[in-house]
Parts: sequence; structure tokens; C-alpha cells
Amino acid sequence: MSGKRVWRSLEEYQRSDAFGEMLKAEFPSIFDLWTVDRRQLLEVMGASLALAGMTGCKPVRSDDAVPFVNRPEGFIEGRTGHYATAVLFEGYAQPVLATTSGGRPIKLEGNRDHPSFGGGSTPFMQAAILDLYDPDRSQAPLFNGKPASWADFDGQMARWRDSWAATKGAGLRLLLGPTTSPTMLRQIAELRTMLPLAQVHLFDPFGGFDRVTPSGLRPIIQDADVIVSLDDDLLGPGPMQATNARAWGDRHGDIPLRERMRLLVAETTPTQTGSKADRRLGVAPTRLPSLAQAIATGVGVSSDGVRLTQKELAWTKEAARALIQARGRSLFVVGRFAPPQLHSLAIEINRALGNLGRTCKLATPVGLTSQSTEPFLDLVRDIGQRRVSTLFVLGANPLYQAPGNLDFAKLYATVPVTVHAGLHVDETGFQSKWHLPLPHALEDWSDARSPDATATIMQPVVRPIYDSRSAHEIIASLTSDQPASSKDAVRQTWAAKLPDDASWNGVLKSGFVPEEPQPAPTEPPITNTAIDVPRVGDGDFEILFRPDPTIHDGSFANNGWLQELPKPLFKTTWENVVALSPADARARGITSGDLVAVEANGRRLTGPAWVLPGQPRRVVTLFLGYGRSHAGRIGNGLGYDAFAMRDALRPWNATGKISKTGARTTLATTQEHHMLDAEGEGVVRTVTPQHPSALREGDANQDSFYPPWPGDKPAWGMVIDLDRCIGCNACAVACQAENNVPVVGKDQVARGREMAWLRVDRYFAGDPEEPETYFQPVPCMHCEQAPCEMGCPVHATVHSPEGLNLMVYNRCIGTRTCSSYCPYKVRRFNWFDYTTDAPSPTEAQRNPDVTVRGRGVMEKCTYCIQRIEAATVQADIENRPIVDGEVMTACQQACPAKAITFGNLADGGSAVRKQRSSERNYALLAEQGTRPRTTYLARLEVEPGDGE
Amino acid sequence: MPQVFSRTADTWLRAVALGALVVTLAIFLGALAFARSQYWDVVARTPLQPVPFSHKHHAGELGIDCRYCHTSVETSANAGFPATHVCMTCHSQLWTNAEMLAPVRQSLAENRPIDWHRVARVPDYVYFRHDIHIAKGIACVECHGRIDRMPLTYRAKAFEMKFCLDCHRNPAPNLRPRDEVYNFDWKPPADHEALGRKLMAIYHIKSPNQLTSCGTCHR
Repeated sequence: MSGKRVWRSLEEYQRSDAFGEMLKAEFPSIFDLWTVDRRQLLEVMGASLALAGMTGCKPVRSDDAVPFVNRPEGFIEGRTGHYATAVLFEGYAQPVLATTSGGRPIKLEGNRDHPSFGGGSTPFMQAAILDLYDPDRSQAPLFNGKPASWADFDGQMARWRDSWAATKGAGLRLLLGPTTSPTMLRQIAELRTMLPLAQVHLFDPFGGFDRVTPSGLRPIIQDADVIVSLDDDLLGPGPMQATNARAWGDRHGDIPLRERMRLLVAETTPTQTGSKADRRLGVAPTRLPSLAQAIATGVGVSSDGVRLTQKELAWTKEAARALIQARGRSLFVVGRFAPPQLHSLAIEINRALGNLGRTCKLATPVGLTSQSTEPFLDLVRDIGQRRVSTLFVLGANPLYQAPGNLDFAKLYATVPVTVHAGLHVDETGFQSKWHLPLPHALEDWSDARSPDATATIMQPVVRPIYDSRSAHEIIASLTSDQPASSKDAVRQTWAAKLPDDASWNGVLKSGFVPEEPQPAPTEPPITNTAIDVPRVGDGDFEILFRPDPTIHDGSFANNGWLQELPKPLFKTTWENVVALSPADARARGITSGDLVAVEANGRRLTGPAWVLPGQPRRVVTLFLGYGRSHAGRIGNGLGYDAFAMRDALRPWNATGKISKTGARTTLATTQEHHMLDAEGEGVVRTVTPQHPSALREGDANQDSFYPPWPGDKPAWGMVIDLDRCIGCNACAVACQAENNVPVVGKDQVARGREMAWLRVDRYFAGDPEEPETYFQPVPCMHCEQAPCEMGCPVHATVHSPEGLNLMVYNRCIGTRTCSSYCPYKVRRFNWFDYTTDAPSPTEAQRNPDVTVRGRGVMEKCTYCIQRIEAATVQADIENRPIVDGEVMTACQQACPAKAITFGNLADGGSAVRKQRSSERNYALLAEQGTRPRTTYLARLEVEPGDGE
Repeated sequence: MPQVFSRTADTWLRAVALGALVVTLAIFLGALAFARSQYWDVVARTPLQPVPFSHKHHAGELGIDCRYCHTSVETSANAGFPATHVCMTCHSQLWTNAEMLAPVRQSLAENRPIDWHRVARVPDYVYFRHDIHIAKGIACVECHGRIDRMPLTYRAKAFEMKFCLDCHRNPAPNLRPRDEVYNFDWKPPADHEALGRKLMAIYHIKSPNQLTSCGTCHR
């Protein structure tokens, strides 16, 4: 087992004095508040005594019992229902099972039966439920910004329809966001035949704005033994995150060494994929073509030589060797932001290695592409030439996301009639003549394909909350005065495949359409023009534009869970940062939190610097999705807008300058919150095949003055496999959704008062320029000898016979002693009432089986006691013992990599018992003698040749 | 110098001190008594309902099974309130013009639910489940009293924590065979104790230690 010192922040790495003081403080969360003098304190105490009488005035609970007039068949009051459907991410289906309680969806789970997702989920899938209840969603049609009705719009539409019928749709343009919906594709095709002069444009903020060649290569990563990734964030946010993470989980953990997947990554900015790589190389984006060329030469596809640095040479040599050794079982992938020439090269390399058809295949893109539609730049040109009379924008926000150099807002204002349909009155909706509310994915009928082309029929799980109309109906109404309802439209699309009710209902129930014939793949045209590598002058920086890790393209900006979710690598919340390397920061005297100005493409923006270990030198990463003005009350006015700096023809890179402005800002970062007092030793552990045991001296069971906890059955316990964990945070958001965990806001997060019951700690080790990165999810450890229980003066935290460390909210008087006694820092205190005044209808999302906590109460992970109770009661009613796997905690169920195992430790055959007997098993801070029920499996580090 | 205190001052002081003590004790005892009173526990009070529904008539005299209206009592945490359609199975034929039933007919006509007032309820922080109690042979009457004799429904027992704990500490005396759960007139056999022990084993009732763990009802 390794004795590496790990660190969370550069301040800790440098062991600064202030950091040490902060760590030693009894309550690090109020360390910076401890500047009050005695007199001031007495004043405050007096005031709070005087005001104490004014609290306690709470609304009396209603005694009403309101039954149905006619109870729907099969509905059982107080029980939850589950419906298979999907939510969307970049237009791709993310299959889910929606849990409804009393007719309202409260939680989304992955669909376990889905062939490619297999039950995994992502933070975005988990958080989609909150978007349904977003109080800032558009609620009714608007005409010139004033409330209007659908009848008004229908009248207007009838007049337009008549004129288009005469002109064959001349001047009519549709601008669509990314979509994979077969019904939408069918409707577009029909529209084109009926109105041949109308044109359809695609607006994909991450797909390019000119006509671009799609990569055409679809990886099948579960079949790959070796993956070489050139800036492809396979495990990071994206429509394939859950499927990739599933493959990753299956090929890691306690499996034979020869089945283990090997991953080599060269990347331009640190990502989760790089963090999990066996070999990682940080490079500037201008170096990618050379690296690709070197690998092509290494595997014999090309004979051109390139100049490489020592490190690049070592990496490409190893990558090429690994690719060749695993010929037919290896995979070479190139990131979506790399030039198209490299994608063509990737196909060549995989073909030469015999991987094509085994670990990857040529595939036709499943959704709209810039090939099947007109590119966005054509629309821009035509608007400039006054050839667009009516523009429908469906599910896109070009006024916010269009590259700044197009100045699209100005052009948009010159179009005579603009109609925007979306979930929010966003930047585009605000400037449009008409705005139409669209339903949330969980509210109406539609269909979509997941990235592997499996289709899901999306069924509504709740009646639309607002006066919305689906995009299918809006498109249909362009040509018909009796537009088909969204359900009929979807049914019609699938009439051939699902002709009768039995097959239709079967597909609704399973959540996917089985075994569809796939279109024959066509060979994508090879792009082998010379790559235009920009010259980066002395003192210039290469600037990258990347989607934000939690807000993505800005469409999640009004989602409080995702705003407050610490970004996997920076652990910042509520805003985007300007990431730069420690060496560049040192050279320019920049520290994290300094406001820096970035100049590129003739524009300038200011944002907070973040010194990111592992960031390549002379590369600055800007994150898209922030700086919104019409996102809603949560997302407005946060961070800087990097979309405005982009260039339409080079949307991913630029060269520019960076300078210190002299001002500073407080970043709400959680990386130094809830530090463990272990000086970074033995917290995250790694093992190797030669030294497979994770145990260390001092881990042996400590003697205790307290009697051992009598083990009743079942004895609940959890094991978290750090080898499988990819740090995606799906568990953290799932926990928040399941357990009614409130959002507290940036100011409170900055004070260390975030409420997340499950945090994912991120540690670095080694050289800050090229660190190792580790992720460690930390829920409550449910210690058998729990220090918190010794501390509580009112027995508000006690132990259950089954080994749960319980929190009895109505006993808690808020002394916070338990929190200061907790060595793992997993307890969260309600400093304020975060829930009573939450705007409607967000309360409809809350889980009725979990208490909504009030002010002044401590809370923490319960191992999802409501799920344990539900399963226990069910087993008890059936008079049988509980079965292994019957209880799944929310985090466990959400994890796409199956890194979390939960179950009965007293059951010899249970999965959790098996995991716990692994040599990699270790307890966090075992030397404290707390005997935690949650333990970890150390990360395995394998070198080539270890398996033989 | 004249005397400051009169001759009776000492007596007055004692009387006042004693009086203050008595009043304090009275307030304290009064508060205790109030906290244990039926008023505070909302026992035996019949709130004004939209329809003066009589359990005595329906469950007692007519002998309609509890589950006819409270359909989910065996399958869910909630016993469930009857939908208007359930009332109308009979009342579309019987008493079709009764003044008393006007709100029911109105509910059906306007498709608006009847707004009942809950009589038996536990605080928000208590997660009570009907299904498990029925499954383990706890009769309706144990908590709801002689519902079959109530012309207007009221809470029969004070739903205090002690009430729940008494049974969770020693469930045996309150257990019945599974098919007698809805029977209000069931008389325990002579050897009730032996039956209780037998049922404890059959139902696999958990140890008092587990049944009284906080997490059983609070979470």
C-alpha cells in the first residue's frame, strides 16, 4: 500500500499557516466568523433572546383528508409508482424510471433493463426532476412580452399557414436545437415535402456552426482492453457518460487482471477521464495533431515523422505499443473538440489495428446533423440578406449561445416575425415576437434515441404543470389546422414497428424499443486537408472553450442542485472559473480567486482565476454556460459568459492574453471544507498487484473502553470501490433528490455550510503540474463506536440495533457537539430555515418518506433509512427475511460504475460482505477506533506486465 | 425610632411565600394535567364533517367490512379514504334524495373531492404504517377503539408516544389471529398469554429492542 501524501488544495500542499489554523479550529465552518468581541457577542445574545418569542409561530398543519372522486384503477394511496421514460441531454435520450408519489414525480432512477445504460445515471439525469418543478419556467404564451393565449397564437398561425401554402413556405425558417427524436425527424421530412421552400437549420452549441463532418465512429468501450484517448472525456459529462462509466465499472474492481481495461489519456485540460487514466499527459491543443500523427506512425498507418518533447514521445510510444499489443481489442478515440482531420485519422488507425467492428464501428449519426439540415451560418447569411421572413426557434437559445462574432442578437431583431418555443423565457424568448412554453420531458409524449441508437418512447408521468404545448404539435400546426396530438404523432411514427396496443404498451413498460434494424453505416468522407495549427506567440495563451462540468451549455443554469454541486475537479460552486496552470499562475503572481481579464477574438472578459493542478502550461480553459441574463432567479447573473467570446469557425480554441486586474472575489469552493485531520496520510489508498493489501500498521482493531456493539441482524454496511469511482457526482445529486437536502446558496457554501449529505472529496498527490487525482465519496460512516453519539447531550443521535447511526430530529436542540466530535465531518447543520419559503412548486418534488428538516437541527446520511424501512416492512409482511439486494441506497442505485455496494454484513453470502473481505478493503481513519460500517476498497495501480 | 415592620409582618411574609409556592405548584401541576388531558390529545372530539357519517350505522349495524372503504389498509402505509364513487355504489340507489347526502352528490356532479377532516392522525415526524400492523395481527380496535359504536367518529386513544411504546415493548397481549383483525367483537381465549406467545413466534415479531429503536418510527 502506498504512503503517498495527498492534498486537496495548493494551500494545503504548501502547508500555509492560515490553512493550519483553519484546520485546527473547532468549527472550521465558522472559523472566519470568530472575529466577534465579547461585548458584541452579548449584544447579539440579548437581541436573539428578545426575538426568541417571535419564533415558534408556525402554520398549523391541515387536518384535511381529500380523497378521489373516482380513484384510478391500480392506484394505491401512499405507494409509489414507477414509469419508464427518458429525459434529454443534448437531445439524446437518457432512459429513466420515474418514481411518482401521489401522482407527482419525485425521483428519477436509471432504467436497469435498458441495453446500454443498465440502470446507471448521471448528475444531469438525477437533477432533471428539479427542472420539472422550476418555478421560473415559462407558464403561458407571450406576444411581444405580454401574456397571450394559445387561441391568439392559433389565429395568427392560421393566417401564416395560408400564406405559406401559397408561397410553398418561402421565407419560413426553422432553427432546432439538437434532437434525436424519430417523430421530430419524420415531421421535418413531411414539412419539407409540403413546404419545399422552407428551410430547417440546426443550432448545436457543441456541434459547430458550419457544415461539419460527423466523426462517424461509435466506440463500444466495454469490449476494449486498451483505450487511448486523445482529449476525449469519455468519463466526463456527456450523453454517453453513464454507458461509458458502466463499461469502466465492469472492467475495474475485483476482477482478474487480464480483464482490466487500460486507459491512456492525453488531454488539454484536466478531466475525470484523465484522473482515472493509467497514463496521463497534459498537452496544449496545438500539440494534438502531432500526437495523433506520432501514434499513426507508431501503429504503421503513416510514415511521417513529427517533433515531440521527451514526455510526449514517451506517452505516444507507450500508447502505440499498447494499441498494437491489444490489436483487435484496443481502441483509439479522439475528442469531439478536436479537428475533423483527427477523426478521420482515428478511423484509419482503428481500421489498421483491426478494431473496427469490434471495439468501435462506423455508424450513422442518430439525430439531426449539420448534414441533414442547413447549417446555422447559412441562416445567419440569409437573415443578413433579408431572405428570412418568419423564424421558428424550437428548443434552442441562439441569442445566448451563438458565437459572439456573429452578433446574432442584432440580426435576430431584423427578422419580421420570430417565434421561440422553450422551457424558459430565456435570452431568445425575451427578444422574440412570440414565445411559446414547451412542456418538460416528463410532461408530454415524445421519443428520442440514446447514443447507441436505442429508441425510448417518452411517456408523460405527470399532467403538464403549465399551459404548454409540445414541439411536435407546434411543428404539425405549421402545415395542418388539425395538428395531431403529441401522442398520436409519436404513435404514427412507430405504427410499423409497434402496430398494436400490446407491443406499444410493452415498449412503454420496458422503456426502450428492442431490436430495430439499424441503417447501414456509410463511410464518412475523409478529411485530410492540412490542419491549420495557429501560431501561439510569446506571452500568448491558448484558450479553450469547454462546457461547464455541471451547468453544461447553460441549460441547467437554473437548477439549484447542479449550481451547488461542486465541479468534480475544481470543487467550486455557483460560478465558472478561468483555469490556468500552477506554473503560469506563479509566474504572473495569480492565485485562485484573483479576477483576471482574458482577451481573445477581439473581445475581453473578466472571471475568477482557478489554479488547477494538472492544467497544461500556457493553456487557459474558459467554461461555457454562465453569465446568463434570462435563466431564472437562480441562474441569472452568475459567472462570465464565454459564448460571447467564441468565433463561429473556431468555436473550441482561440489564442489570447491573460492579465491580472488586481481585484479579488470570494469563490465558493468546497475543496477545503470538511477536512479530515489525518495530514493527508492513508485517507485515499492505492494498492498494486505486488502489494495487494490496503491495510497499514495502526489499522488493526483498536481496543475500546466501550462494549462492542451487539450485532443484531441485519447489520447494514456499505463498501465504496475507489477503483471504480469516476467522481461523476451522480451519487451526490441522487442523495439530494432522495433525502430532501436543501440548496443553501453561494454565500452559505462559501462559509462551509453546504448541506450535501454525501460529498465526493477530490485529492491530488505528487507534483502540482502533473498530479495524480483521486476521488472519494464520503457519506456517514455509521461507526459502531460513534463519537457523535457520545457527544450529544440530549440523545438525539443514537444507534439502532441494525447498526445505523440514527438522527432523531425532534430531539435535536442544535448544540452541534456531534459535528465537532465527528472525525469524518459528515454532519450538516441547518443554520437557517431553508425550506419553508422555497418557491412553489418545488415542494412537490420532496420525498414524502423523508422528514423536511427545520432550522437549528443537525442532519446527515441515514443510509436511506426510508428505503431500508420500506424493504424491511415488505419482507415482514411476507414473513420472510430480507434478501440481499432488496435495499439499494439512492447513491448506490444512481452510481453508473457500480462503485457502491450496500447490504447486510451479517449475511455470509451478501455482496457487501464479499467486498469487505477483499484485500483492498480499508476503513477511513481506522486508527480512531470508530469501527465504521462504511469502508473503502483501495484504488488499484497496474503497470504493463503486472498481469503476466 | 419607630419599628419599621409591623407585628404581623412576619406572618404575612410566610403566608405570601407559602401562597407563591402553592400557586407555582398549581400552575406546574395544572400544565402537566393539561398536557395529559383529552383536550390536548384531541380525544373524543367530533369535528364538523361535510357529511355526518356514522361508522356505527355502516360498520356496526350494517356490518360493512372496514376494507370496503379503507381499501389500502393491507397494502400501504395509508388506510385510504373512500372515493366519492365508493359512497355512490350504494347511495345511487339508497337515500338518493337525502338532504344529508347532498355534498356527496355534489362532489360526484362537480367532480370535486369531499373535504373530510382527519380524526386519527400522528405528528409529521412519526412514520406510521397500517399494512405492517394489520399483517402482524394488530386489530383496528387497538388504536381506533369501538369505531363500530361511534355515531360520529372521534379519536378514541391518545396517540402519545407512550401509547405506541407500551405495545412495541410488549406486543404479545395485543396480538390476534390474522383473520380476527377486523372483528370488533373478538374475545381473547382463556389462555390469551399462550396465544400471544404463539403468535409472536408465527409472525416473527422482532425484539423489543428493535421495535423501540428510534428509527422504527422516526427518520
